[in-house]
Amino acid sequence: MVNIDIEEIRFVPAFYDEFPERLRNIPNPPKGLYIKGRFPDESRPSVAIVGSRDCSQYGAGMAKYYAEVLSKAGVQIISGLARGVDGIAQKTALDAGHPTFGVLGCGVDVVYPKSNREIFERITEKGALISEFPPGTPAIARQFPSRNRIIAGLADVLLVVEAKVKSGTGITVRNALEQGKDVYAIPGRVTDPLSAGCNKLIADGAGAALTPDDVLLALGIEPSGSRKNAAAQISKLARREKMLYSVLDLYPRTLDELSNMTGLTAAELLGILLQLELKGLAAETGKNNYIRKS
Amino acid sequence: MFSSINSVALFGMDARMVTAETDLSTGGLPVFEMVGFLGSEVKESKERIRTAMKNSGYLIPPKRITVNLSPADLRKSGSSFDLAVAISLLCAMGVIPEEASSATVAAGELSLSGEVKPVSGILPMVFEARKNGFKRFILPAANAAEGGAVEGIEVVGVHDLEETVAYLSGSKTIEPTSISLEAILNEERIPEADFRDVSGQIGARRGLEVAVAGMHNILMIGPPGSGKSMMAKCLPSILPPLSADECLEISKVYSVAGLLGAEGLVTERPFVSPHHTISPQALAGGGNIPRPGAVSLAHRGVLFLDEFPEFQRQTLEILRQPIEDHEVHIQRTQGSCTFPTDFLLCAAMNPCKCGYYPDRNRCSCSGPEIQRYLSKISGPLLDRIDISVETSEIGFSELSGKTGSAGESSEKIRERVVDAAEIQRKRFEGTGLRFNSDIGVRELKRFCAIGPEEEELMKTVFETMGLSARGYHRILKTSRTIADLAHSDTIKQEHIAEAIGYRGIDRRYWNGEY
Repeated sequence: MVNIDIEEIRFVPAFYDEFPERLRNIPNPPKGLYIKGRFPDESRPSVAIVGSRDCSQYGAGMAKYYAEVLSKAGVQIISGLARGVDGIAQKTALDAGHPTFGVLGCGVDVVYPKSNREIFERITEKGALISEFPPGTPAIARQFPSRNRIIAGLADVLLVVEAKVKSGTGITVRNALEQGKDVYAIPGRVTDPLSAGCNKLIADGAGAALTPDDVLLALGIEPSGSRKNAAAQISKLARREKMLYSVLDLYPRTLDELSNMTGLTAAELLGILLQLELKGLAAETGKNNYIRKS
Repeated sequence: MFSSINSVALFGMDARMVTAETDLSTGGLPVFEMVGFLGSEVKESKERIRTAMKNSGYLIPPKRITVNLSPADLRKSGSSFDLAVAISLLCAMGVIPEEASSATVAAGELSLSGEVKPVSGILPMVFEARKNGFKRFILPAANAAEGGAVEGIEVVGVHDLEETVAYLSGSKTIEPTSISLEAILNEERIPEADFRDVSGQIGARRGLEVAVAGMHNILMIGPPGSGKSMMAKCLPSILPPLSADECLEISKVYSVAGLLGAEGLVTERPFVSPHHTISPQALAGGGNIPRPGAVSLAHRGVLFLDEFPEFQRQTLEILRQPIEDHEVHIQRTQGSCTFPTDFLLCAAMNPCKCGYYPDRNRCSCSGPEIQRYLSKISGPLLDRIDISVETSEIGFSELSGKTGSAGESSEKIRERVVDAAEIQRKRFEGTGLRFNSDIGVRELKRFCAIGPEEEELMKTVFETMGLSARGYHRILKTSRTIADLAHSDTIKQEHIAEAIGYRGIDRRYWNGEY
């Protein structure tokens, strides 16, 4: 048995005042929730950011970018603390010092996946770990679809970052639609299987989140110029740095591609890329594969 | 009647002089007895000798024949004692004059017909004979080109027993074989693979050039079909040409392994590419009588390990010590032996099981799968690889030669490499080091000193990129080579920046987050 007092885990039945209002009116509401931390603020907007566990660099970059802008605007980030999109979005919010809430398909004292241990340890400072399963419940695949309805339930808007056509994210989307929530998706290249789910959602009538501002507007928040800083930094770059930065993309590019586009040699490219990396404008995602940052 | 002649016993690469003594006596029953701690193949040699002599027209008298291979406490193996024993027996029989065997060494296998057949390990044998002051070495004609490369000793190749007898009795003269190493090494050679035929891959090309210039071990990472193996095959074409000493060093190893062809010597830098199912013993060298393994056959050349993570872990870990010490020690019950292993390690691998990471739209591996794949290569081994580069898939425009840098020829790259090697030779004169990759932590301050600006850059990189101390050293050594390639005495910022681009794969970059 888990001693829930020591673990600071509380059980909050649905008839308590503290129980989230958002969850009272969804179909098949939970009878109660185990929580470590505090529930999302009812007066502040919340967005669920979900997507593939094995996301591409593009998906990872987008999850980070949207989570950063949204949480800075005061939006609470809800997600499932899974590998990939979920974890990246929540870690971004955590790193920026904003509250984020992880809804689990296992007990709130069970760390799954292990690679997100750091997030599990820090998330309760400002947010919470939430689950309808009692402490000690192991992570079993069939429990995950039911927690997706709580993710959708706690959010005002559901944002899908990257998903294949058939995936767990689809269940969350269905739940959100049943609950009458807005669904937004980030479009991608039509040839990418990882973006196919998102593109199909948009074709089926979901909102296209072309910028984080689209999501903010859906929540009734007036966006503020969020990328000014980066723009100021870019204008200060040397000529060749600027040229190289302009050909970088969120899809990883190899040295060969960069050389073809800029005409620089490998030695020159590596030198400039290092400068960009140190300035936080580029990142090496795989060996000698580079992407643009911010 | 007693007589003797010298031969050589081999254990691994170590040769030791052995005397074949024969005594013919009339007392006792007629037998042919061989003693001296002999392996079974040496014991069998009396049957070969008896028949070979009969078929060459020399009848063994019905007397008590005792052959001793001295020193008697040294285990002897191999078939190379046949010729020496036969000669000493013929001496004892009076067919060959006694004085003919003085200051002479003989080695070779006999066939039943009397023919003298080639044996392995001739090169170290001839060296040992010369070291011990012998003036003449009689060996199989097929091995003459090999033994003839040793100066200061007369090397005589014989075809059969009859010819040997005629030569030693003075009724026939055989011109000693002498090979001019310079002439062989200066021959024009067309490399099997040339960098001219490699399109694109600017990063990998440059990385390989730097690797060869400073003898840094290199790891190539890229999707299947991106040309990793092809580029590795081009490596010998940009390695500096062989010197005469190096040629003999390599040939000795190949001689012991019995891999020398009709040419007699190894005249090109070896390129050894074992399959990933190779056993630890085959890689390091082994066997009852130790034979050189792949690491030694790649001495002064390239050891190419394709599909790096597919090798057994135990096999890969064996590489650590040979890489560090440039030699491998093999212990067996009968003694230990040492083989040289000064090679350039070039490894190639896919970034994940399916080969397409980080292209997530084609890669079907999950995060943990990728981690598992990468973790097959241990940290200590990665620590010994200074440079890692990525090979990218080749687009059609590059294949058809429309875009991308037109391939620079190996010849041009080699010129730069040779220059850099010369700079290093001068720098390391009298230090026992040969290449920048040999620089140890203690020597770093002396050979890889950097200015304040460079220091600042290294500090920033160290802090922001989470480098380890070893990673820091590797970058300094690699930037030293890059500076040498640019004929720069000091290491400048641009050299360091490029070296950082080649830093080893860092676990941090593989977990999909940044």
